[in-house]
Amino acid sequence: MKKNNSDELIIANGEIVLQNEENTAAELIIAIKELAFQNEEKEHRAAELAIANRELAFQNEEKENRAAELIIANKELAFQNEEKENRAAELIIANKELAFQNEEKENRAAELIIANKELAFQNEEKEKRAEELSIANRELKNAEDDIRKLNDELEQKVIERTAQLESVNKELESFSYSVSHDLRAPIRAINGYTKIIVEDYGDLLDADGIKILQSIINNSKKMGELIDDLLAFSKLGRKQVTVSEIEMNDLVRTVKNEFVFEENERIPEFIVGELPRAQGDKSLIKQVWINLISNGIKYSRHKEKTRIEIGAYQEDQHIVYYVKDGGAGFDMEYYDKLFGVFQRLHSQEEFEGTGIGLAIVHRIVQRHQGKVWAESTLDEGSCFYFSLLRVNH
Amino acid sequence: MSYHNIEILFVEDSADDAALTIRALKKGGVTNKLQHVINGAQALDFLYCKGDFAARSNKEFPKLILLDLKMPKISGVQVLEKIKSDPNLKAIPVVMLTSSNEGPDIEKCFSLGANSYIVKPVDSDNFFKAVKEIGLYWMVLSQSAH
Repeated sequence: MKKNNSDELIIANGEIVLQNEENTAAELIIAIKELAFQNEEKEHRAAELAIANRELAFQNEEKENRAAELIIANKELAFQNEEKENRAAELIIANKELAFQNEEKENRAAELIIANKELAFQNEEKEKRAEELSIANRELKNAEDDIRKLNDELEQKVIERTAQLESVNKELESFSYSVSHDLRAPIRAINGYTKIIVEDYGDLLDADGIKILQSIINNSKKMGELIDDLLAFSKLGRKQVTVSEIEMNDLVRTVKNEFVFEENERIPEFIVGELPRAQGDKSLIKQVWINLISNGIKYSRHKEKTRIEIGAYQEDQHIVYYVKDGGAGFDMEYYDKLFGVFQRLHSQEEFEGTGIGLAIVHRIVQRHQGKVWAESTLDEGSCFYFSLLRVNH
Repeated sequence: MSYHNIEILFVEDSADDAALTIRALKKGGVTNKLQHVINGAQALDFLYCKGDFAARSNKEFPKLILLDLKMPKISGVQVLEKIKSDPNLKAIPVVMLTSSNEGPDIEKCFSLGANSYIVKPVDSDNFFKAVKEIGLYWMVLSQSAH
């Protein structure tokens, strides 16, 4: 078939070529021109396209670079992402921990709130208590003020009473002094005149009469002694106590040596221990020793021998001195009368005396803030003790 | 009554004490002429030749004054004070007579210049003895005192 078509076509073509030989040449020129223009255009376009292509190629390259970079960046991001996920996981754990801690803290806070409330309550209670205490304190203070006031009043009263007592005491002392003085005069007269009767008119009286007069003389003499003792005793109340350190060994030696014994009298045997020094009024304490030692001698009279033991011992802040004899002693049943004024535990016939000696001892020791006491067994002897403040060095 | 040559001035308000003292002095051999006055005012009248004693010579002074301490009105202390502050009288020995040695006036008497004091003892033996000794002492042993 193709051979037919081509032959027909060559014939057609030869006809057309002949038909169009004149027209076709012009048209061809135009067409060629057109085609040349179009060709030029297409060449421009191709150049442009080449440029554009180059541009695109560049852009492509750029994009590929960029893509590579992006891949790297992507990888980096992926890594970072992973990291962040790890971190996130850690944070989640930490968060949980924190949440737990938070919960704990909230619990603790709740507990604290309760504790706080409790404290607030306690505080309130304490404030109440403080207020109560403050009131109680004020009351106490008022009470104290009252007591102080009462105390002051009491003290004032004591001062007043003491002054009254002192004044009464002074009056009593001056009374006893003047009474003793005034009593002495008539007794002196009774004694003196009786003596005159015996001396001047003794011849006119019988033995009984003389004996009676002698009784008057003895009794008035005795009364004189009592008055003297009373005076001496009241003088003790007035006498100022002048305290100094007493060398007791010396004092007792002096007292011992001052005793005068008559020819027919027995010389006592003295056993004197070490006597520490003490504080006291020397002349008054000397009187204490005289009275105690002479008592020891007097009450040993009916014994075979007279043995006077003198000693001392320390007791706290005091020195206790003692005088011991082996004499008549006394019945401890009557001990409370022993140191009383004009109290006697022996009859006048048995042992003479007025009963002032121990009262004086008692008063002197008392005025020294000391103590005096005694122990005795009837018929075996007595021991008298007195204490004085020791000398501190 | 003669006030001449009085050797002892005896001032005592108690009649009994005076009688016993005078007897004791006599029995003790003190026979010196004695003037007894019964209070301090009379004692001063005697010494200054006034009142009852205006007629007495003021040239004569006693050799001894026995002066009771306790007397009404003018006491022995006041009389003593007067005597010892007078230049004409102060050389006369003064012996104070007291009822006891417990009196507060004893020291004062000595500070005023009393020469001695005796306690009037109740016991007459002692009393006589004391007065006798005092009297003899001042009258016999202290002749040169005045």
